[in-house]
Amino acid sequence: MTAKRIQGDNKMKPQQSRGPQDAQAADLLVTVASTLNERLGVTFVELARSQSLLKEASDEMLIAFRGAADRLVAAQKIDSADRPEKPEYTVVLDHLYRAVQHLQSHDLVSQLIEAQKHRVQKMRDKLTEALSLAGPADARAMLDCIVAGIAQIDQDVHAPRAETMQSGSVDLF
Amino acid sequence: MKTILAVDDSATMREMVAFVLESAGYRVIEAEDGAQGLDRANANSCDLVITDQNMPNMDGLTLVRSLREMRDYKSVPILLLTTESSDNMKAQGKAAGATGWLVKPFDPATLLQVVQKVLR
Repeated sequence: MTAKRIQGDNKMKPQQSRGPQDAQAADLLVTVASTLNERLGVTFVELARSQSLLKEASDEMLIAFRGAADRLVAAQKIDSADRPEKPEYTVVLDHLYRAVQHLQSHDLVSQLIEAQKHRVQKMRDKLTEALSLAGPADARAMLDCIVAGIAQIDQDVHAPRAETMQSGSVDLF
Repeated sequence: MKTILAVDDSATMREMVAFVLESAGYRVIEAEDGAQGLDRANANSCDLVITDQNMPNMDGLTLVRSLREMRDYKSVPILLLTTESSDNMKAQGKAAGATGWLVKPFDPATLLQVVQKVLR
């Protein structure tokens, strides 16, 4: 509604003789854009912290996984001459394979977070650009800038589509 | 022993792919993006390439196209292992010369079956 009113007023009045309502609308727009930009800044930082916490946990799990996997391979080599069947190693390997499938969650979730950070940063850039135009005479330009930011928000975003950690599809050409 | 080049910008994914393939007796060479993958492919004789799609410096499809221009990699199987799952992307992979498209997360047993199949 604010956008329509500003657009309508632009047609009716010259830029220099804007009324108090226009100035009020422009002020409101600046306040909304500033507040939104600030909150998006907090969101960006929290997404980055989530990514960092996830990485820390995944790195530790990976070290534990590597330790178990290396021990298994070493034990297999020592025992292979005596007992070529090694059923207990197959069981352990199956457990490690299950871990492999679910340790990939780090990669998928990290990519999802990266996609959200990308969207948030793009919107912040547009809001900052819009705020640099701030002023009663440029309310329309500010709105256009914000609308353009919303329209472009999904560009270059590569978010994984996986809904679960079940294995994905296989296509051989 | 067959040599497999695993290209992914995620260290976790490289580690997972390498563990599964090495546990099945393959030799694995790792690269962290398409450009490094191309260098490693040049420096080694690889029997199979498994690559991610979205990576810095050079993406997976560009790597596939670059490898297909190399005489030694004209017929070497190349698998895309990626979170991208759209039909459009798969069609681009096929057109670029990829042998197959696997969507992450991968199941180790399925990966090994596919690897055995394309290496036959």
